[in-house]
Amino acid sequence: MANNILCSISTRGRYDTTLPLAILSVINQTLKPDALVIFDDNDSPEDLRNKQHYVYLFQMLSSKGIQWSVIFGERKGQHYNHQKANTMGYKWVWRLDDDTVAEPDTLEKLYNVAIREDAGAVGGSILTPPNHTVPIQATGKIENINNEPNIQWGPIVKTQEVDHLHCSFLYRAGIVDYDLSLTRVAHREETLFTYGLKKIGYKVFVTDCVTWHLRNPQGGIRDGQLEMFEHDERIFQLKDKTIVVLDCGMGDHIVFKHVLPDINNPLVFTCYPEIIPGKSIAEAHQLLGDISQYNIYGKMDQWGWKGSLEEAFRKMYVRKK
Amino acid sequence: MIVIAPWAKKMRNDQPHPKDYPYWQEVIDGLDMPIVQVGVAGEKQLVKTFYQNVSLTRLTEIVNECQTWIAVDSFFQHFCWDLGKRGVVLWGQSDPNIFGHPENINLLRDRKYLREKQFWWWEQCDFKKDAFVDPQIVIDAVKQIINKQ
Repeated sequence: MANNILCSISTRGRYDTTLPLAILSVINQTLKPDALVIFDDNDSPEDLRNKQHYVYLFQMLSSKGIQWSVIFGERKGQHYNHQKANTMGYKWVWRLDDDTVAEPDTLEKLYNVAIREDAGAVGGSILTPPNHTVPIQATGKIENINNEPNIQWGPIVKTQEVDHLHCSFLYRAGIVDYDLSLTRVAHREETLFTYGLKKIGYKVFVTDCVTWHLRNPQGGIRDGQLEMFEHDERIFQLKDKTIVVLDCGMGDHIVFKHVLPDINNPLVFTCYPEIIPGKSIAEAHQLLGDISQYNIYGKMDQWGWKGSLEEAFRKMYVRKK
Repeated sequence: MIVIAPWAKKMRNDQPHPKDYPYWQEVIDGLDMPIVQVGVAGEKQLVKTFYQNVSLTRLTEIVNECQTWIAVDSFFQHFCWDLGKRGVVLWGQSDPNIFGHPENINLLRDRKYLREKQFWWWEQCDFKKDAFVDPQIVIDAVKQIINKQ
């Protein structure tokens, strides 16, 4: 692998509209990713090898040396798919939406900033045609997220530091996890993810490259009910907390006691409040929904863990650059 | 006085727990000193004094009073480690490098007996008597701790 970059696209309902455009824009990059993975979240997924225009695209990918694969998604939301890409072993993941078209120099420009030692994620302009010529006056600070437009919605004229990104960006993989307690609409998932990199000490940048966001009205992963957005917004409000869910045994709680003092701003849900004070696991379910991402044994199994339980808790909750 | 915590939490399929040490009686017979047992109601009683379902406060008092302790891989080994009381842990198929504490004497017969999936349910694993050390090794380890005090 030349640069160890995976391009990841999560798709639903856009086989014959914008997805082929997104793939073609990957093929035409001046800096090629090593691989492209398409997560197919369609309700009735098809074998794209049976669609002639995809045959052409896959042939071009192969001839350009970009390994490609299609993985059927779990239909739990694009954050589940991005988390899979995040843990596929690549150093960098470039995520594209299935209704975006990256200009040919996008990945190269993102990568040139990302290779800074302190960079966690880099995004560019995300422009919706036809009219976006004036830079957005915005700080990109998380505290202003409800009071200013996103800086990526206008042309970026210089590389600058921000707190968070959205839509499409290049990021350092396997450092922080996507928040899988979000609903399938995954409202704010990319904001939480990139801000998560910022929280542990990496820098997040925008730089002068353009990805066109076609905002195709048909398809897309984010169709859902208002309650889902409200649920996700409640989780977003906890963005500065480290959510700890101890849905595990009594002995595990005792080991965790030695980790807790090193956790930044914890919000703890616990089975044994006499050992670790906190809110109940029932409250965790109520607030977060699916709490399986917090299962320490599941994580250790996923990591192929050989170290101690205490070290595993530290990897999960005491993340620093 | 020595505290023993001989049993792991009962499994949902009522099978013998793969963590449970099979030679407790031999260990108890070989230790010429008072022994008390801690655990929960319903567990097999091995010695005359069996403290069942005691509070963490009371359990702390019991551990603080003892010279040392012997346990399988259970809550109790973590509890004593947290209190700074050194003891002996009897390992079978779970990995002391993951679940143990180096401050204790961790008796593992051989790493070849460790189960491949360390983080799966114990109900997915069969009991293996051969995975455990002989009782004399346990007795020697207890004496080693007491002699150093």
